[in-house]
Amino acid sequence: MPEPILRIENVSKRYGKKEVLRGASLTVNKGDLKILIGPSGAGKSTLLQCINFLVRPDEGRIWLEEKEVHYAHKRDLYAYRQKVGMIFQDFNLFDHLTALENVRIGMVKVKGMAKAQAGERAVAELERVGLKEHTQKYPAQLSGGQKQRVSIARALAMDPKVMLLDEPTSALDPELIGEVLAVIRDLGENGMTMIMATHQIAFAGSLASEIIFMEDGRISERGTPEKILFQAENARTREFCAKIAEFYGEKR
Amino acid sequence: MEEWLYIQNEVYPALLKGFWVSLALIVPSAIFGLVIGIIVGVLRVYGNRPVMAAANAFVVLFRGIPLVVQLFIWYFGLPYIKIYLAPFVAAVLGFSLCSGAYHSEYVRGALMSIRRGQMLAAQSLGFSKVKMIFSIILPQAIRRALPGCGNEIIYLIKYSSLAYMITCVELTGEGKILASNSFKYTEIFLIIGACYLAMTSVASLLLSRVEDRLRLPGFEHQRI
Amino acid sequence: MPEGLIAIADALPYLLQGSVVTVIVVFGAMGLGLILGVPLAVGQVYGRPALRRAIGVYVWFFRGIPLLVLLFLFYFGLCTALDVNLSAFTVAIIVLGLISSAYQSQIFRGAILSLPEGQLKAARALGMSDFKAISFIVLPQALRLAIPGWSNEYSIILKDSAVTYALGVAEIMARAHFVATRTYQQLPLYFTAGVIFLILTWMGTRGLRVLEEKVRIPGYSQHGA
Repeated sequence: MPEPILRIENVSKRYGKKEVLRGASLTVNKGDLKILIGPSGAGKSTLLQCINFLVRPDEGRIWLEEKEVHYAHKRDLYAYRQKVGMIFQDFNLFDHLTALENVRIGMVKVKGMAKAQAGERAVAELERVGLKEHTQKYPAQLSGGQKQRVSIARALAMDPKVMLLDEPTSALDPELIGEVLAVIRDLGENGMTMIMATHQIAFAGSLASEIIFMEDGRISERGTPEKILFQAENARTREFCAKIAEFYGEKR
Repeated sequence: MEEWLYIQNEVYPALLKGFWVSLALIVPSAIFGLVIGIIVGVLRVYGNRPVMAAANAFVVLFRGIPLVVQLFIWYFGLPYIKIYLAPFVAAVLGFSLCSGAYHSEYVRGALMSIRRGQMLAAQSLGFSKVKMIFSIILPQAIRRALPGCGNEIIYLIKYSSLAYMITCVELTGEGKILASNSFKYTEIFLIIGACYLAMTSVASLLLSRVEDRLRLPGFEHQRI
Repeated sequence: MPEGLIAIADALPYLLQGSVVTVIVVFGAMGLGLILGVPLAVGQVYGRPALRRAIGVYVWFFRGIPLLVLLFLFYFGLCTALDVNLSAFTVAIIVLGLISSAYQSQIFRGAILSLPEGQLKAARALGMSDFKAISFIVLPQALRLAIPGWSNEYSIILKDSAVTYALGVAEIMARAHFVATRTYQQLPLYFTAGVIFLILTWMGTRGLRVLEEKVRIPGYSQHGA
């Protein structure tokens, strides 16, 4: 019996006259890995940022565990964001804090945990993403792949119900992509619920519970990996998948 | 009514007189200051070793010593060695040298920011040194130095009020005299303040006009 | 000029006492400028349009009017009009501090704006309120970036503090002038005052450079600086 965790209904966003998101709806069940694909400017990133209200949607409603999120209430909004982890394309580690402090700061300042206890948890999370040796390093001293893994640890430390990943490997050199994808795969295998925008089509094909193709701010096609990657109904979807496989196919 | 007469008969003529004195201080000081700044700035970049050292020492002294102290040296200090300057002359001298030292910083920064490749390219085209300086380096350097030098002129407008401290009665001085006679300190100094605000605002408006006019696409001035 | 040297030697302790006054005025003004400048900068970057405009007017006012005029306005004008009895020393700190807050707010504003937008986004994504995000993520970085600007501000306030002599604050300049008019050794004494200011400038900027190095984030360099 599928258990819905996150439900998004009819989310829209305009910048001036330009509609970047037109009525996107999505239901995410526990343990799902939903993959968003589509050309750049299709609205993937906007959708993800709307889900945790980093971008305020103009319309639409969102439920987390059957409770509607009222983002106008600041308290509700902050509580909700704690339960929704976010991974950015360009990491956004806090540049003035060490890896350990980056992971710890949310627990201490937002959840109000004691520093020592939060520190232990932070070390555990960093260990989980394979960065035990690097806890005392500053972001500028880490490689791109290590930075992204710290940012995953930072999100995990908040015990999120859902994780949103906005092209987590796009800013990485090819040889560093694998280590980050491996961490994300582990998360999926341990039952983490995730929505991820990516161009890593092979990764998507092997792990996604559903692939969602976006175009012009709309969800234009969705289905199992087999369906979207090999028997898409929409010509544009087929075209995009073919092109993307050509570029990213071999890199795994 | 009485207030109005006071303003009309006393305040307005006095402040107008003071305003002209201020302007007479600011304009020549700005021009001399810029000339000094350009010369010193060029010497600090292209001069030989002793010249460079002398120019640098000039800048350290005239930027490091408060302007009030410099004005006191020119006006109250020089008589010690039998040189007597009128307050107005001492003020213009002090303002020009001090703001010249500041201008030279921006000129120097601008000259140094021009990439060596620009000069190599000019030389490879057969430019003489003088032609290279005037048609390649200066047009770039002026754009880079402009924001800093313009700011310096706005500072000069404000610092011109210090002339009063060496008995050169300009806008601030006229205001002080009026206020001491009438005890309307708040009103008078608010009016004086408004005059300076008007001057600095007009100056910065003009400056951004000039900057816009000279702007080249993609040629950003670097923060110094 | 042995006479001049004797005059300098005699006056030196007295002038150095004045430098203590100068330093207190400068530190007081910078502290006040910092306390006011940080919220002004935050308000100007993140505030509502009306607040931003109000701060803009404040900054325009205090940056556009000469120090001497503001000193006269506050000391002779407002203090009497509002019937508060403040010493010249206090007024000097307040006026220099208010001016400095306008300048410092622009230093901090520049520093905040130079931070990547993602820093704030990531903090919000963790569930931080805007207040927490600004206090724990934005300001610790912005204040570090502001140190060079701060060093510049220090040397400006230090020099400007000599103007407070016009109110009779017993700082270096006032004392040099006091002795000079009695001993007729003007040139040597003003020159000595100038040298003391040079030394104070050097010490202050040196100290701030040490501070900058101390709080530097390893491996982190903004704009290749």
